[in-house]
Amino acid sequence: MLEIKDLVTEYGSVKALNGVSLVAHVGKITTVIGANGAGKSTLLRTISALEQPRSGNISWNGKSIVGLSPEKIVRLGIAHVPEGHAVISQLSVEENISMGALFRMRSNKVDVKNAQQEMYQLFPRLEERKNQLAGSLSGGERQMLAISRALVSRPSLLLLDEPSLGLAPLIVEQIIQTINDLCRNTGLTVLLVEQNANTALSVADHGILLSLGSVVADLPAAQMKADVSLRAAYLGY
Amino acid sequence: MEIFLSAIFSGTSRGAIYALAALGLVLVWRGAGVVNFAQMGQAMFTTYIASTLIGHHYSYWLAFIVALISGGILGAFVDLSVMRPLSRKRSSNFLDSPAMRSTIPVIASLGILGILQSGAGIFWAAEERGFPTPVNSLGLVIGGKTMPFTAFDLFVIGTVFITLVITTYFFKGTGMGLAMRASALNPEVARLSGIKIGSMRTLSWTISGVASSLAGLLVTPSANLSPSTLDLILIIGFTAAVVGGLDSLLGSVIGGFALGLLISFVNVYDTPEDIFLAILVVLLAVLLIRPQGLLGSKEVRRV
Repeated sequence: MLEIKDLVTEYGSVKALNGVSLVAHVGKITTVIGANGAGKSTLLRTISALEQPRSGNISWNGKSIVGLSPEKIVRLGIAHVPEGHAVISQLSVEENISMGALFRMRSNKVDVKNAQQEMYQLFPRLEERKNQLAGSLSGGERQMLAISRALVSRPSLLLLDEPSLGLAPLIVEQIIQTINDLCRNTGLTVLLVEQNANTALSVADHGILLSLGSVVADLPAAQMKADVSLRAAYLGY
Repeated sequence: MEIFLSAIFSGTSRGAIYALAALGLVLVWRGAGVVNFAQMGQAMFTTYIASTLIGHHYSYWLAFIVALISGGILGAFVDLSVMRPLSRKRSSNFLDSPAMRSTIPVIASLGILGILQSGAGIFWAAEERGFPTPVNSLGLVIGGKTMPFTAFDLFVIGTVFITLVITTYFFKGTGMGLAMRASALNPEVARLSGIKIGSMRTLSWTISGVASSLAGLLVTPSANLSPSTLDLILIIGFTAAVVGGLDSLLGSVIGGFALGLLISFVNVYDTPEDIFLAILVVLLAVLLIRPQGLLGSKEVRRV
C-alpha cells in the first residue's frame, strides 16, 4: 500500500503540493485528476524522488521512502512513467526496453529476457519496430514504449503520468485497457495521473481530485464520475 | 608518389592520436557535460609516470600499462574530488543558474590543468626529456626497400584501432555501455530506469582518462616530454571533436583522422608554419557551414 501524508513540495517559494494525503491500495487503480497546475505531476515526481519534499511522508508497504534516490526507489518496485512519452529517442526500441531492466540484469538474467518478451506480447507493434530508433515511433508507440520501459523492471507500483496526452482516443483506449488488464491479472498497483478525467475514472477504483496542490475530493471512482457539480467546479466540464 | 604515401601514413598515424584525444574530450562532454581542459594535462602526468618507470629500467610495456591505469584513476579522481562536489546544488541562486553550472566545471578543469602542470614541474623538473617507442621509429624496411611508414606508425594505428573496436563494443554491446549512453542522453529517464548516473559519470571520466593517457604515450615520442608538451594535442583534439560534432564519438574519431591527414599534407606540400592556419580555416569552415559538426546532433541545447 502506498500511503502519503501531509506531503509538501515546493519549487522555490511556490508550493506545488500543499499538504497532500492519500492512499493507493494494492492491486487497484487509483487515479489523480485535476486541472493543469494542480500538482499532479509533482506528486508523482516526489514519490519517485525526482523532487524532494519539504515535509510530510511517503511510505510504501509500511516503510518510509522519503530521502531515497530515484535509483533506489526503482529497486523497491516503484516504476514511474513521466509525462510526455518519456523514451530516449536516440536509442532503439529494444535498447529502451532493456534499459529498464539493466539494474537487475546481473541478479536475474533469465527473468529479464522473459520480461522483455512479455513487453512485446503486450505491445506487438514494438516487436515489429524493435531495431528502429525510438525517435521514429508515433506518439502512441512511444507511450507504449515508455510504459514497457517501466514495466520491464517488474514493478509492484506503477506511476503513470498522463498517458493520454496528445494521443488519438482509440490509442488512449488501448493503452488504458492494457493497464487495466495488467492490474486485474497481476495485482499491479497503479497510480494514474490524468487530465482526461472521463477515461481515467472509467477504469479506476478510486479517484482523487487535486486542485492547487491540495486534495479536494477523495471518492470511489464511480461516485466521482457521477458527481457533476464537482467536475463543473474543478475541471470545467 | 613516395612523398604522397608517406604523407598518408604519417597523417593516419598522427590522426589516430588526435582521434583518441578527441574521443577522450567527447566522452567527458557527453557523459558529464564538461569540456575538460585538464585532459591532456592528465595525459602529460601519466606519461611522466611511465617515463619515470622506464628511467628506473622497468620495461616499456609495464610502464605503458601503469600509465593507462593511472590515467583511469586520475580521471575518476578528478570527477570524485572536484567535479562531483561542484555539481551539488548550491544555495546561491547565482551559482545555481544554468550558465554558472556549466561554466564552473570548465574553470575548475583549467585549475586542474594548472595544478598538474606545475606539479609535474616540481616532481620531475621542467626540463624536457625524451620518451621511447616500443618499436623502431625509422622507415620500415621490407625486402630491402624502405617503406613510407615506420613500425611505430603501424603500432600507433593498430593500438588506436583496437581501442576503437573495444570502445564501440563496450558502448553498443554491453549493458554498462547502454547505461552510460542512456545517462548521457537523458539523465532523468536513466535514473527512473534505476541507472546510477553518478557512477556512469565517473566511468566516463575514467574511460576518458585512459584514452587520453594512451594518446599521451603515443604522441610523446615525436616530441620531447615537458609539462606543457601536450597542450598542442588538446588544441588539435578539441578542434577534431568540434569538427566531428561534440556529442558524437564516431564524429570525433573521423575529425581526428581528418585533421591528422590535413596537418600531414600541409607539412609535406606546404610549410609547417601554415599548420595552425589550416586548422583554423577548417574549424571556421565547419562552424560556418555545419555548426553542429559532421555527425553532431542538430538539436538545440536548451540552457
